[in-house]
Amino acid sequence: MTQAAWRQFFSYNRYTAICGRATRSALKESERVKAERRGETSLRYQEWKDGKAGEQTSIKAQPKQQ
Amino acid sequence: MNLGRRGYAEAVSDKLKLSFILPHAAIFDSQEVTQVNISAATGEMGILASHVPSVEELKPGLFEVIESSGTKKWFVSGGFATMHPNNRLTVNAIEAYPIDDFSPDAVRSALSEAQRTASGSGSPEQKAEAEIEVEVLTALQSAMGRQ
Repeated sequence: MTQAAWRQFFSYNRYTAICGRATRSALKESERVKAERRGETSLRYQEWKDGKAGEQTSIKAQPKQQ
Repeated sequence: MNLGRRGYAEAVSDKLKLSFILPHAAIFDSQEVTQVNISAATGEMGILASHVPSVEELKPGLFEVIESSGTKKWFVSGGFATMHPNNRLTVNAIEAYPIDDFSPDAVRSALSEAQRTASGSGSPEQKAEAEIEVEVLTALQSAMGRQ
């Protein structure tokens, strides 16, 4: 396994986010609930065509692919 | 006669000024400390005042701050330490917690789950993600063991 085998799959940002997620998962129960909320991201996007706005779609990022 | 309000003692501070900032909190904000020990990707480093300017990537590992009042330790998930020319050290990390805030059982179960995924039959991306988690949690385990 090379030192940074993940480089072929994702960016440094994603790598750091995964490290943060792993660290949070190891916290004691009392701290963990507060911290896990920091890991959640959501995205809302809207397509524009001919100057008219389309539907707004919301995506809640999945915390972990099972 | 006005002898100038700034004396030589203020012109160049000879103590290391640490800013230890996370995205959600500033643990140290330009505070004077004696020594900072980081776990850099290039090796373990101790940073004192007037260190040569450099940028170091932090591995997931122990971060130690030695002040006149004592020593404090955190586990950081990764980040960067930037030593500036004017005796300022900026350390950015995504997550940092005192070692006592971690639970050995949670570390163990998260680690075994990550190891299972890393050697399992998922996609290469999932396995790469799991390998990163194994690296972080293994570093955390050894940091907790050193306490």
